[in-house]
Amino acid sequence: MQIELQQIQKSFGRVDVLKGVDLKVEAGTIHGLVGENGAGKSTLMKILTGYLSRSGGSILIDGQEANYNDPAAAAKLGIGMLYQEPQDFPPLTVLDNFIVGRDNHPDNRREWQQRRLDELSDQVRFQLRGDDLLERLTVGERQQLEFLRLLGRDAKLLILDEPTTGISDRQKERLFAALQQIRDQGRTILLVSHKLEEIAALCSRVTVLRHGMVTGEECAPFHIPRLLELMFDKAPVNSVQNRPQATGKALLTFENISANGERTGLNACSCTIHRGEIVGLAGLSGSGQGLFLRLAAALKRPLEGQIRFHGTTLNGRDHRTVKRLGGCFLPANRLEEGLIAGFTLVDHFTLAMSCSESTARVAASAAIKKFNIRGTPDTLVESLSGGNQQRLLLALIPEDANLVLLENPTRGLDLASAEWVWSYLRSQYSSRGTVVFSSAELEEMLEVADRILVFFDGRVVRDLPIGQVVYRDVAAAMTGY
Amino acid sequence: MQNLKQHLIDTLLILAIAGPFTSLLLALVGASPADAFGHLFSGSFGSWSKFSRVLNVWIPLTLCSLGLLYAFRSGLWNIGVEGQLVLGAVGTAGVLRLGVDAASPLLVLMLALLAGALLGSLWALLAGWLKIKGGVHEIFAGLGLNFVAMGIILWLIFGPWKRPGIASMSGTEPFPRELWFPMLEGWRVSPFALALALAAIVITAWVLNHSRFGLNLKAVGHNPRAVLLYGLSPQTYLLTAIIISGALAGLAGGVQVSAIYHRLIPAISSGYGYLSLLVVMLANFRLLPIPLIALFFAALNVGSIQLPMMMQLDSSLAGVIQGACVLSALLVFGLRRLKKGADG
Amino acid sequence: MRFRVRAFLGWATLAAICLLNVPAVFGSDKAELTFGMLLVGPYNDHGWSQAHYEGGRYVEAKLPGSKMIYIDKVNPADRPGLTIPAVVDELVDKGAQLIIGNSDDMKDGMREAASQHPEIHFLHISGDDVLTGNAPPNLSNLMGRMEYGKMIAGFAAGLTTKDGRVAYLGPLINEETRRLAASAYLGARHAWTVVRGMPAETFKFRVSWIGFWFNIPGVTADPSQVARNFFDTGYDVILSGIDTNEALIVANQQRKEGKAVYALPYDFIGSCNSAPEACLGVPYYNWGPDYTRIAKSVINGSWNQAWTWSGPNWEAINDADSSAIGFIIGDALSQANREQLKAFIADLGSGKLNLFTGPLSYQDGSDYLKAGEIATDRQVWYLKQLLQGMEGASK
Repeated sequence: MQIELQQIQKSFGRVDVLKGVDLKVEAGTIHGLVGENGAGKSTLMKILTGYLSRSGGSILIDGQEANYNDPAAAAKLGIGMLYQEPQDFPPLTVLDNFIVGRDNHPDNRREWQQRRLDELSDQVRFQLRGDDLLERLTVGERQQLEFLRLLGRDAKLLILDEPTTGISDRQKERLFAALQQIRDQGRTILLVSHKLEEIAALCSRVTVLRHGMVTGEECAPFHIPRLLELMFDKAPVNSVQNRPQATGKALLTFENISANGERTGLNACSCTIHRGEIVGLAGLSGSGQGLFLRLAAALKRPLEGQIRFHGTTLNGRDHRTVKRLGGCFLPANRLEEGLIAGFTLVDHFTLAMSCSESTARVAASAAIKKFNIRGTPDTLVESLSGGNQQRLLLALIPEDANLVLLENPTRGLDLASAEWVWSYLRSQYSSRGTVVFSSAELEEMLEVADRILVFFDGRVVRDLPIGQVVYRDVAAAMTGY
Repeated sequence: MQNLKQHLIDTLLILAIAGPFTSLLLALVGASPADAFGHLFSGSFGSWSKFSRVLNVWIPLTLCSLGLLYAFRSGLWNIGVEGQLVLGAVGTAGVLRLGVDAASPLLVLMLALLAGALLGSLWALLAGWLKIKGGVHEIFAGLGLNFVAMGIILWLIFGPWKRPGIASMSGTEPFPRELWFPMLEGWRVSPFALALALAAIVITAWVLNHSRFGLNLKAVGHNPRAVLLYGLSPQTYLLTAIIISGALAGLAGGVQVSAIYHRLIPAISSGYGYLSLLVVMLANFRLLPIPLIALFFAALNVGSIQLPMMMQLDSSLAGVIQGACVLSALLVFGLRRLKKGADG
Repeated sequence: MRFRVRAFLGWATLAAICLLNVPAVFGSDKAELTFGMLLVGPYNDHGWSQAHYEGGRYVEAKLPGSKMIYIDKVNPADRPGLTIPAVVDELVDKGAQLIIGNSDDMKDGMREAASQHPEIHFLHISGDDVLTGNAPPNLSNLMGRMEYGKMIAGFAAGLTTKDGRVAYLGPLINEETRRLAASAYLGARHAWTVVRGMPAETFKFRVSWIGFWFNIPGVTADPSQVARNFFDTGYDVILSGIDTNEALIVANQQRKEGKAVYALPYDFIGSCNSAPEACLGVPYYNWGPDYTRIAKSVINGSWNQAWTWSGPNWEAINDADSSAIGFIIGDALSQANREQLKAFIADLGSGKLNLFTGPLSYQDGSDYLKAGEIATDRQVWYLKQLLQGMEGASK
C-alpha cells in the first residue's frame, strides 16, 4: 500500500501544530519519520490513524483520496498502529487478546484463531503461547502480540511509534527481522523514532519534521550529521558565553544510581553537582531526566546506589528531608503534581509556609506584585494561565532554598514568560544556590546552563561543562550517537 | 449568595425527582401518597416525644456523618464506618460491664465513651493500615472489617458476655440505671448526648474549614502527589483522617449502647453507618447540610413506624425515600458536573 | 441501604388484602379499649407471632368496641434503631391502654416502658418480672403451660419412633426452652419405656440449638440443615422448638425419598397444614381467652398485677374459648397411637400422671427431684439444666 499525505494541516485553537506536511510512503518500504519533541510527529500519526481530524490537506491511499474520521475506518482501510504502550488486556490470555474485537469474524472458533496465531507467530519467529496470561509477559512480548494482531488483521500499513523503548536487545533484533520480513511480503511500514541508529539500520527513506514542517527527506545511506541538522535548529552562534566555572563544594551526589520509571528507568548513574552550578539535563523526553530530578528530590526511591544531599544520604528518606535541607522541586505537570486544584493562592502559601491564613494572605499579595502574577490572592490556581502557575510555583520556593530542581521550567510559557523565569532564577541562585533543570529546548539549555548532562535511554551519556559543549555533539548524543 | 441559591435549586430538584417517584410507588400498591407522607411527618414531628425519638436517631447518625467527612476530605471512602460503630459499641459496653458497682458511675460512663471512640478508631486504623501498607483498597478493607466486627459482636453476645444461663439475640444483660447516659426528667433524649453531637458539629466545622489541619487534609484529598512537595506526608494525614472518622463512629456506637439500648445487641449499629454514607453523599460531601439531612433521615426512620401501624404498609418505605433522594442527588450533582465540564 | 422494594411490594399487597378482610370495629360505644400488640415476628408467620395476632383478633371479636393496633417485626434486626419504649410511646399516643409484648427479648424494654407510663397496663408474654419482683405495678406476665403441649408432642414422638431416636430442634438456650425440651423428653421417654415397654438404655433424645427463634442466615445454624443431619444420623422424629416450620418441611422432603420420618411443629394451630402426611401433631397456644380476660379487667378496672401460667382445659384441650394450650393430632399419627395419646392426655388431666415427678437428675448428675418429689411451678419454670438422659448443651 502506498500512502501519500498532501499539505496536512492541524491547529489546536490558534496554535498551528502541523503547517502543511507532505509525506509519501512507497508500498513495500520501511519509511522513517524523525524529529525532536514537539515537532508534530504524534499529531501526524494520530491523523493517519483516524484519532484526530485534520484541519486541512488530503490523504491518498494508492492514489485514491481517502476520507476517514475514526480509527475503525482507518483499520478497515488497512492502517494499523503499534503504540508505545501496549493497548491490551493484561488479565486475559494471549489468545483472548489476539481474538478480542474480532468477534464478528466469520470463523471465530478458538481452535481456528489459535492456529492463525501460531501461523503468524512462526512466520516472524516469535514465541508466544496462546494460553499464557498476558500479565506474566514482558513489555516486549506484549508488543509482539500487538504486532501479530495487526498482521492478523491484514494491516497493510503499519505505523510503529518508538517500538524499541523498554524492550530487550534480543526482542529488538526479532522485531527488526520481522519488520524486514513483512516488508518483503509487500507491507508498508512507517517507523517513528528518535533513535537514528535504528532508522539507519531499517529505513530506505526518512522524513524529518521540525516545528510542524518537513525540513527534509533523505535516502539511505544516511549522513547522520545532516539529519541532525535537519532535526534541530541551527546552533545559535554566540550561545556559549564565558561563565565562571563552578568551584563550590559538592552539594548533590549520585553514586551508581539505578531506578525504575519513565519507561527507560535510570541505569548506573553517577555524578556530582556543586554549589553555585546551573546544570541542564538534556535529552529527548523520557530519557531519564525527570527520573533524575525526582530521585534528587527523594520523591522516588532508587533500586540501588546512594544519593547524598549536603552529605546526608537520602536512602529511605522522603521529600521532607530534602525540603528541610533546602531542596525543592518544580514539576512540569504543574497542576497535577505541583499545585492543588481547588485551592487558592492563599491556600498554597498557607501550605507552603505552614503559617496562618492572614500571614499567607500578606505573602500572597506580595508575591503577586513581585512575580507579576495575574490573579488575586483568592484566585483558584486552575484558573491561572500556565505562565502564571509557573510564577506561583517559583514564588512558593522558600527564601532559604539552596537547590532548585526544575522539570521543563519553561514548558508552555510564551517567550517573555520564559525569559522572565530564567532571569529570576539566575538572579536568585547564581551566587548562592544550585539549579538543576531539564528542558526539551537545547538552545535554552545552552543559554543558561553552566554544565550539561546528556541523557539517552536511561543513561547519562555526556557530562560537559558549557565551555566544551559542541551543539552538534549534544544533539547526536541525545539521539544515541 | 450565588452558592446558596444553587444549593436551594439542587435541593428542590432532588425533591422534585424523589417525591413523585416515591408517590408513584405508593400509588402502585394502592396507598395514598398524601396519607403516607402525612403520617411520616406527624409521626416524626407531631409531638415533643416523637421529635425526641428523632433526635435519638439524629445524634449517632450525625456523629457518623461528621466522621465520614474527615475521611472524605482526605480522599478516603470509609465504608468501614459501620464496623467502627459496632466496635465502638463493644468498647463502651466492655468498660460499662467492668464499671458496674463502681463508685463514680459518671466517670465510668465517660471512660466507656472514650473506650468506644478508641476502639472505633483502632478499627478504622486497621483499614487505613491495610490500605497504606497492604495496598488493599479501603472500600474492600472496610467491607471485610464490617463483617469481622459483626462476627465479634455476635461472638461476645452469644459467648463471653451472654446473660447468665441465656444466650439471646436480645443482647447482653442491661446495665444498671446509673450507667445510662444521663437524662433529664421527662425527656426521651439525653440533652448531654445532644450537646455532644452539637459540639462535634462545631468542632468539625472549625477543624475542616478554619484550621491548618483541615486545609492540609483537604490538600491531601485533592492532590496527594502535590502535597509531598509541601512537606506533608499523605499517609500520615490519611491515617489521621480515618482515625478521627473511626473515633466519631465509635462514639456513635457508645451513644447507642449507653443512651439508647443500655446493653449490647447484635443490631446495635441500627445500620446508621451505612445510612450516614448516604447522608454525606446527599450533602455532596459538605458539612453544613449534614445536620439537616441527618435530621431528615432520622425523621423518616422514626416516622416510618406509622406506616405499618396506620396503613398496614411496610416501613421500608423510609429506606425507599432515602435511597430515591440519594440517587436523585447523585443525578443532579452529576448533571451539574457534566454541564460545568461542557461549559468549561 | 435497605432497598427492599420487592419485600415492600409483597408486604403491601398482603396488607391490602388484610385490610379488606378486617371487619370494621369502629362506631361501637360499648366497651372502648384500644390495645397495642408488639409482635416480634411477622404477623403472618404461621408460628408464635401469628398465634398472638389471632389472639388479638379474638379479643376484638369478643369485646365489641375494642381495637387492636399491632406492630410486627419488632426486633432490632428487622427495624433498625427501634426500641421498645419508643414503640410503646407510639401506641400510647394512639390511645392504647393495654400493651402486649410477645417476646422474651422485650423484657428490658417492657419494664422501662412500663415505668415511663404508669397509667397504662402492660402484659409481657413469657416474662418473669412479676415472679422476680422486678416488675413495676402496672406490668403483668402471662405464659401458657406449653410443658403439657410438649409432653403430648413428645409422647406422640415416643410412640412413633422406630428405634427410639427422637430429636429436638431447639432455638436458643434459656429457662423456657430448657423446660420445654425437657417436657418433650419426659413425654417421649414415657411412651418408649412405660407404654411400649422398651428398655430405657435404647432411648436417645438429642437437642440441637440453632441460636435463635428462627433462621438468620449467617448468624444462626440453618434449621433445615440441622433437620437433615438429624434424619441422616438415624433420628426419625423431630420435635420443633423454633418458630418456623423447617423440620416439617425437611421431613416431608425425606418422606418423598422413601424415608419413614416425622416431625412435630410448634406454636400455631395451623402448622401441620403445610405437610400433613409428615405431621404427627402440633402443640399450640391459644391466647384469645386469656387476652380477653385481661382486656376485660382493664376495662372494668379490676386489673391486678399477676404472673399467670395458663394450662389447657383438660375437658376439651382444643376448645377455642377456654383452653390456653391445645394439641392437634396430625394425619401421620397411626390410629392405635391416637388411642394411646388420648389416654395419655386424660391421665395428665386427671392428675394420675405427672411426669415432673422424681427421681429426676440434671444432666450433670446432680439431683433435680428426689424420688417421689413433685416439682413445684417454680422448679419447672426455672429449670437449670437439661435432664439426665438428654443429649445436647444445657448452657
